Amino acid sequence: MSGEEQHPDLEAQERAGQEEPELDRGIVEAWAARAISNPDRAYKATFYLATFFFLVTTLFPFYWLLMVALTPRGNLSDVGVLTPAGFNPGAFVEIFTRLPFHRYMFNSFLIATVATVLVLFVASLAGYVFGRLRFRGRNALLLSVLVTSFFPPAAFFIPLNRLFNTNIDALRPILSAGSLYNTPYAIFIPLSALYLPLSIFILMTFYSQIPDGLEDAARVEGTTRLGALFRVIVPLSAPGVATAGVLTFITVYNEYFFSSLMTDGRPQNWAPMLEGVLRFQGEFEVLFNLMAAASIVAVLPVAILVIVAQEKIVSGLTAGAVKE
Amino acid sequence: MSTDTSDRRLLLRPVHWLETKSEAVFAYILLAPAFLLLAVIAFFPLVQTFRFSLLADETAAANPFGGFVGFENYAALLTGEALIPQQFLDPTFETPLLQQALFVTLAFAILSVLFETLIGFGQALVIDQEFYGRRWVRVAIIIPYAIPIVIQAMIFFLMFNPTVGFATDFMQALGIFGQNPLATPRDSFIIVLVADIWKTAAFMALLILAGLQSVDRGLYDVAKVSGASPWQQFKYITLPLVAPALLVAMLFRTMDAMRIYGLIDATAGCQTVPSMSCLVITALQETRRWATGSSVAFLTAVVIAIVVLIYLFGLRDTEAGVT
Repeated sequence: MSGEEQHPDLEAQERAGQEEPELDRGIVEAWAARAISNPDRAYKATFYLATFFFLVTTLFPFYWLLMVALTPRGNLSDVGVLTPAGFNPGAFVEIFTRLPFHRYMFNSFLIATVATVLVLFVASLAGYVFGRLRFRGRNALLLSVLVTSFFPPAAFFIPLNRLFNTNIDALRPILSAGSLYNTPYAIFIPLSALYLPLSIFILMTFYSQIPDGLEDAARVEGTTRLGALFRVIVPLSAPGVATAGVLTFITVYNEYFFSSLMTDGRPQNWAPMLEGVLRFQGEFEVLFNLMAAASIVAVLPVAILVIVAQEKIVSGLTAGAVKE
Repeated sequence: MSTDTSDRRLLLRPVHWLETKSEAVFAYILLAPAFLLLAVIAFFPLVQTFRFSLLADETAAANPFGGFVGFENYAALLTGEALIPQQFLDPTFETPLLQQALFVTLAFAILSVLFETLIGFGQALVIDQEFYGRRWVRVAIIIPYAIPIVIQAMIFFLMFNPTVGFATDFMQALGIFGQNPLATPRDSFIIVLVADIWKTAAFMALLILAGLQSVDRGLYDVAKVSGASPWQQFKYITLPLVAPALLVAMLFRTMDAMRIYGLIDATAGCQTVPSMSCLVITALQETRRWATGSSVAFLTAVVIAIVVLIYLFGLRDTEAGVT
C-alpha cells in the first residue's frame, strides 16, 4: 500500500463525520451509529465488556461463598444469588469450636513452609549448577528433571504409600509410630520432590543472569565456591528466590492428591486444611455454611499472597514455563 | 579462642574439601540432594509401580502382592475383566472400566484445555492493555489460579448442590441437568469441567500474557499506519507471534488436566466421574487390588507420555523448540 494514498476506511470515516445528518435517535441507536463511523469505540466497548465479564466470573463465586457462610443454618435452602438469607457471622467462630480448624490450618502452614524451605535450598544448589556450570551430562540430567514433571502423582503413589506405611526401626527415636504415615514428612517430602523441577527452572534462569565477574570477584576475595553462591549469587537473585518460594508455598498449600491420602484425616495426625474443610461434610450433618466459612478462612492466606506478590507469580510462571 | 578456630576449621573441612574438586565433581555433588529427592520420590517409585503391575492381586493376605503374572493385569484391564468396583458411567456395565476412565480423562483434557485456551486468551488480552486499575484487574483474574483445589471444589459443590446452590435450578431450567447432578456422571462431568475452567483459565492467561508481552510493540504502530483494524492486528501480528507460547502452555495444561483427581474426589466423587487417577485410588482403597491399581497408574503415565510425544511432534515444526 502506498503511503500517500489514504486508506479507504479512513476516507469513509471522514466522509461519515462530515455528512452525518442530524437525526433524532435514541441512545442505543446513536451509540451504534457512532460505533460504525468510528470502529475504535466499538473495540473499546468490547474491551470494557470483556473486562467486566472476566471480573464477574472470577470474583462472583467468592462473593456467593460469603453469602452462604453468612446464612444461618436453618435458612440454607433460601440463599439467594446476591443476598444471604439472614445474617449470621457466627459461622466464622463456629468452624473453630466445632472442629479444631485452626489446627488444620497450622498443619497446612507448617507443611507448606517446610516444603518451601527445603525446595529453595535444594533447588538453589541445582539451579546454580544448571545455570552456571558446564559439565558432562548437563543436558541429560536437566532432561531427567523435566521428565519428572510429566508423570502423574498417581504413578508414584502406590510404592510411596507402601514405603510410608512401613515401620522403619531407625525412625523410632523421632517418630512414635515408626512409620511416616500420619506425619508431615509423608506430605512435604513427596511434594517437595514433585514441585522441585519448577523451582529449579526458575532459579536456573535467574542465577544464569548474574554476570560472571561478580562471582569471580568474590572468589578472588577468598570465598569458597559455596560461599560465592550463598553470599553473592543468591542475594543478587533475591526476586527469583522470592518467586520460587511464593509459587512453591502456594502449590504445596493447594495440593490435594498427597495431602488427602497420606494422613487419616485427624488434625492431631497432621492432616492438612483440606481435610478440615471436607470434615464439615460428614462428621455430624452436612454443614454447608461452615464449609463455606472454612473455605473463606482457608483461602485468605493465598489470596493475600497473590495480592502482595502478584508480579512475582506472573514473572515466575512465565520464566519457568518459557525455560522449560 | 584457639578451640573456637579449631571447631570452625572442623566445620569448614567439607567446604574446603569441596574446593579441591574439579568443576564437574563439584557440580555432581551439588546436584546430589536434588537427585536424591527425585530418585526416592519419583524415579524409584515409577520403576516400583511398573514392577508391582506385573504381580498378582492378593486381596486377603497381609502382603497385597502375589506372584509374578506378567502383563495379565494389563490384559484384564484392557478387556474389561479387571475386578474394580463398577462405575455408573455406563449403566449397562458393558464398557470396560478402563475405557470409561480413558474416555473421561481424555474428554476432560481436550475440552478443558480448549475452553481454557480460549478464555485464557481473552483474559490475557485484557490484562495486557494499559488502563487505570490494571493491577487490580490482574489480581482478580489470576486469583482463581492460586485457590486450593479443595476450595475450588467446595465452591462448585455448593453451587450445584440442590439444597443450597442456585446453579442446578438454572441448568435444569435450561434442560441440561437432571434431578441430582452431583450423582449423575454426565452432569457431574460438566460441573467438574466448569470448575476446572474457572480455576485454570487464569494459568493459561498468565502464560499467554508472557507471549503477548514479548511481541514487539512497534509492529502494532506499523500496522496502525497501514490502516489495519484491531482485528487484523490480532490476526496477522498477535496470533502468529504468540503461537509458540500458546502451544507450550497448552502442553502444560494437557499434562496437568490428565492428572485430574482432587477436584473430582471433592465434588462428585470418583465413582461418578472415574478419571484414570481416580481409578488408581479406587482400586487401592475400595478393593485392595494394589497390583491392578499399579497397572492403571502405569498406564496413566504411558497415556500422558503418548500425548506429550504427540504435542512435541507437532511442536517440532514450530519455532517453540521445547528444550
